[in-house]
Amino acid sequence: MLTIVRFLWASFAIWTAYALHPSEAGVVDWHKALLGVPLTRPDFHRTTGAHGATRSVVLTATSNNVIGAVHPENGTVAWRYLFEDRDPVVGYKAYNDRLATLSGPGGATFRILDVNSGHLLHELHLHSADSGRLFEPVNLGVAIAFDDSDKSKDTFVLTNGHTLRRINGKSGDIVWGWTSPDQTSLVVYSKVVTTSDAIYLIGLAKSFASYTVHVSAISPDNGELLSDADVPSSIINGPQGLIVVSHEGTRGKSVRLAWLEQARIHSVALTPQLKDKPTIKKGSAYLQVHDIGLQEKGLFVATKEDGSGRVIRFSEDGALKVFWEFADSVKSPKYTESTYAGGLDKDGWPYIARVYWSHVFRQASAHVLAPHLAEGKGLVTGFTFPFETQKHGIIANVAVDAANPEEFRVLSRLVLTTTTGAVQLWQQDQHQWTREESLADIRVAEMVELPEPQLVASQVGIEETESFGARLRRQLADAQDFPQYAINFAKRFATGSYASASSSIAPASNDTSPLSRDTFGFRKIIVAATSHGKVFGIDSANGEIIWSRVFGLGWAAEVGGRIFPLKIFTTRTVSDGDTPQVVIVGQRKADNSLVDTVAFHIDALTGEDVSGTSIGQDILQGQDVIAGALVEAYLFQDGPTKYVVLLDEYLQVHLFPDTPENADSFHKVAPSIHLPLRTGTAGSHRLGGHKVSPEKEFTGRHIAYPIWTASLPPNEDVRSIVTRPHEPVASLGKVLGNRTTLYKYLNPGVVVVLTSTSTPSGPATSCGVYVIDGTKGTILYHANLPAAGGVCDVKAAFTENWLVYHYYDDGSANADQAKSYRMVSLEFYEGSGVDDKTSSSDLSAYSNDTTRISVYEQSYVFPRGISTITTTSTKFGITVKDILVAGNNHQVQSFPRRFLDPRRPNRKPTAEEQEEWLIQYDPLLPDDPKRVLSHRYQVARIRKIITSPALLESTSLVFGYGVDLFFTRVAPSKTFDVLNENFNKAQLVLTVAGLALAIVITKPMVRRKRLRERWYAS
Amino acid sequence: MMIPLLILTLVSLLCSSLAFDLKGRVVWNEICPGIGDLGQAKVVLDNGNLYGSVTRNGQFVIPEVPSGTYILSVVAHDHAFERLRIDVLDTDTLPEVRPYVPGTPLSPPSPVTLPYPITLIPRARYDYYTPQESFNLVGMFQNPMMLLMLGTGVLMLAMPYIMKNMDPEVLQEFKERQAKITDIQSSIQNGDLKTGLSAMMGGEEKTSPAPAPKPQASAARNRGKNKRR
Repeated sequence: MLTIVRFLWASFAIWTAYALHPSEAGVVDWHKALLGVPLTRPDFHRTTGAHGATRSVVLTATSNNVIGAVHPENGTVAWRYLFEDRDPVVGYKAYNDRLATLSGPGGATFRILDVNSGHLLHELHLHSADSGRLFEPVNLGVAIAFDDSDKSKDTFVLTNGHTLRRINGKSGDIVWGWTSPDQTSLVVYSKVVTTSDAIYLIGLAKSFASYTVHVSAISPDNGELLSDADVPSSIINGPQGLIVVSHEGTRGKSVRLAWLEQARIHSVALTPQLKDKPTIKKGSAYLQVHDIGLQEKGLFVATKEDGSGRVIRFSEDGALKVFWEFADSVKSPKYTESTYAGGLDKDGWPYIARVYWSHVFRQASAHVLAPHLAEGKGLVTGFTFPFETQKHGIIANVAVDAANPEEFRVLSRLVLTTTTGAVQLWQQDQHQWTREESLADIRVAEMVELPEPQLVASQVGIEETESFGARLRRQLADAQDFPQYAINFAKRFATGSYASASSSIAPASNDTSPLSRDTFGFRKIIVAATSHGKVFGIDSANGEIIWSRVFGLGWAAEVGGRIFPLKIFTTRTVSDGDTPQVVIVGQRKADNSLVDTVAFHIDALTGEDVSGTSIGQDILQGQDVIAGALVEAYLFQDGPTKYVVLLDEYLQVHLFPDTPENADSFHKVAPSIHLPLRTGTAGSHRLGGHKVSPEKEFTGRHIAYPIWTASLPPNEDVRSIVTRPHEPVASLGKVLGNRTTLYKYLNPGVVVVLTSTSTPSGPATSCGVYVIDGTKGTILYHANLPAAGGVCDVKAAFTENWLVYHYYDDGSANADQAKSYRMVSLEFYEGSGVDDKTSSSDLSAYSNDTTRISVYEQSYVFPRGISTITTTSTKFGITVKDILVAGNNHQVQSFPRRFLDPRRPNRKPTAEEQEEWLIQYDPLLPDDPKRVLSHRYQVARIRKIITSPALLESTSLVFGYGVDLFFTRVAPSKTFDVLNENFNKAQLVLTVAGLALAIVITKPMVRRKRLRERWYAS
Repeated sequence: MMIPLLILTLVSLLCSSLAFDLKGRVVWNEICPGIGDLGQAKVVLDNGNLYGSVTRNGQFVIPEVPSGTYILSVVAHDHAFERLRIDVLDTDTLPEVRPYVPGTPLSPPSPVTLPYPITLIPRARYDYYTPQESFNLVGMFQNPMMLLMLGTGVLMLAMPYIMKNMDPEVLQEFKERQAKITDIQSSIQNGDLKTGLSAMMGGEEKTSPAPAPKPQASAARNRGKNKRR
């Protein structure tokens, strides 16, 4: 009886919620909060607290549409604010304790954030997204200025290039608005400058072949136009050459507008009447003016035609004067062009940094100018720092922050952003921290198994030759570890501290042993390639970067270009007997618009180039595989050899690595290959089935030729093809409660196709989900889904015979139908019902039986929108598969299969159904917070989740990437193959000890009794 | 002066009939005392094409909502909120706010209407963790299994003495019962549930008046004692 109860209890335990214990959070999982690659120069921003203490943050707006603040001391994220994709950040500005942002087309939405906490204070919608004007670049036509004349904390916001609003700092309401009366004119404003007398709007008016500066002065009190003037000028470059310098003098704030015209700096004073005439600064010819963020301090940098940089100051008397010329800044082959940046110390004194890379010393140099020191003559402090250019690319932007502890001493901190997306802080020549922000833009990633730990066997082979003394010494040396071993053994025996499924697998921080897997294979290496030209090897135990390599551009290095990784394949695993290798297939878009397909062949453990074309740890060189775009790439396995098969635009077959063995192997399998391919141009993708020619064509390559085309309506666009992952299937059928079997439909050629139907050049009107037999194009299942908001956003996961898809139902099909997110679960079984076996997995593609299937389908109301969906995967596929989704509330959550079973009955389950653990159908999927894998982590915008089996059958490894990185492991059926974490070893030991004691006590008693029985045998 | 004003009102009327700015606020309570706890959250209509962010004082504005029926929900990381049904009307009246239960049809609408501007109350804070069971000695002995085991142990030790002091009649009966129990046990072990169960049932029937012989046993012990003397 007891055994039955225990069995029931144990099986019930399988179904009870798998949830994390508080002690496991952060041990079995990790989360890396990222911001994204900075788009512009980051800014040091310093705020003064209540007690005069200052704290600073590094503010940055990134390509992931995030505005974030980083602590400069340790490089951790202080806060971040995620903007929606349709609401791109177009401008931001920090002032004292607040940060104003403009986002959306033309600056449609205005927000004020607290600069220390990132909390949203006000959100104001200024115009609808449709009426927003799109400019190139996006930050043209929008500007933010704070009213620094009084304590009102009001903000002046320029949007759409012609509308200025004053926004109350306390309530967030609009005080007044002013719109340029003549919106059709060609004036586009791009700068706002505030003084106590007037607000100046500075813009450019288009005239023949150049632009003319146009300035409007507006009353700060009521928004009336004070004056309006065209400044005689002719600017070719656009608004980035406009610089407004101001100076806080005894007579209030004076403002001067400067620009570059015909290699001379022209400037004009801004007064409310706009009466001043432009003056031309005599002297040298200039090539460029640089806004270094010190306009408020009256400073900017101009580079002369020979490249040398000059600091120009708006002096007391209202003129622009050359204050400083940086020594040795003339263009030279010995060093790169300089980058200039400005910063303030905590007393508000300005500093200007010049940073360049020296080709001679292979080091970066920085010169920091403090204009107020040395009695106002300026003091330059210089240092070099070992910037690793082969690891981080080229310095893209610089921000500087300085302190002046003693009179002739300037300490500076530099924040660098690089072309590979790294953000670094250097304190003088000391490297403080690096943030690899390109990880927020991972394109492809793969988890690669690690080799087993290598036991040190250095003396193998020398035993025969070594002398007795040497051997004794060696064995004594080996034996000195024995007491430690014995203690460990005893400890392990007594306390039961075995490798547990929920313990950390991270190596100790001082561990120098080579990479190896843990007992259960939880530790893998994540190879992740980003679109910023860098590939990383990440330790799945703790998220540390083990190695990183920069992609080489090949011939395009001369003209410049970018590499976009498209696919990643593991071509050799540990079980193949050697170090694992991966191949990354990417598209190289050169700046001269040529597109090539390149492949990088990497050792997954070290990041070393397998092909051997790269030298040492220098840039990783790839191999040009196709001179043109890639259509599709597959991994082919033929026995132990694995290789990548790539198809170019002409459907010619290319192999990588292109060895004769691989060519032979492909030649053998070529006749049996069926490929469903998505071809065509954007908006009119078609689906077609292809076969590969058995013999090479005259081009020396196999070629894929079409054999069928999906008969979809002409306005139906094939958005994506979802294929089944290559995973073992543990059981071919499902035994039901009445001892009959449903056989799973496992035709290997089946693909899921997601489509969208749209009117020509209009939004989508409906979306489609098809299940198609990829070998002959038969449609096995088709569903038409509503396109909510004109967008098809169907997400699907497909494994074995189970398809799950998610969409938003806007209730448009039926008036009383509820609006909600839906998740539809489908299962495909062979034949017309139970016990009808057609052996679909081995069936010939041309058999009629491949279309004889039965479908079980059920739809559920899903609690929220998702960004990606996938299933767990385990080593043998025995464990139940859960659905993993990344929700729009920045969580990764699992949904158990039991709730998504399409065979859930619509009534009370019968005894037979209960035996199968089926529960009654309920349209609502329970939203169980205990199944939120990411628990308290804010896992921002996960774009994709990949799963990988561990050595333990019960456990699946989960890695999600998007803005953030998140790794955890899940056991959908609990860890049935290891001793439960709660297994009470002490209880077992105590019980055994108790029994032993009982035996010791009772043994003499029994013996005495026996003896007595013999004596007094009745 | 009057005419422009009139035009302005007309224009504003026109605007409001086309699109409406939906306003409301999140009420801070002990579940969610402030924006620091809530984090970056937004209030969305339907699938999030229209949304407004929650500010530090809990307020939110969803701008330019065209007339129609919407489901309002809050996208927050750690907190659960109720869902509401919002009907933005073509006429210049305030929108109708009603409670909404997910998964229910939209018509007929719920008769209950809630006040506008919308107030949203944090209902629960998600609890992601299950507490870990830890080992404790007292707890271990409070376990019924453990108690049972201890009881059996004690009984086993005490059995010879009890048996010795038993009345021969009762002893006989006891032995019979024990034989039956071993029978049941062996049948269960053999997997023959039916006989085991029937034996149990049969056994139970017989043993149901079990408490009755208790005083007898005590009496028997007395008698036994007498015998020994």
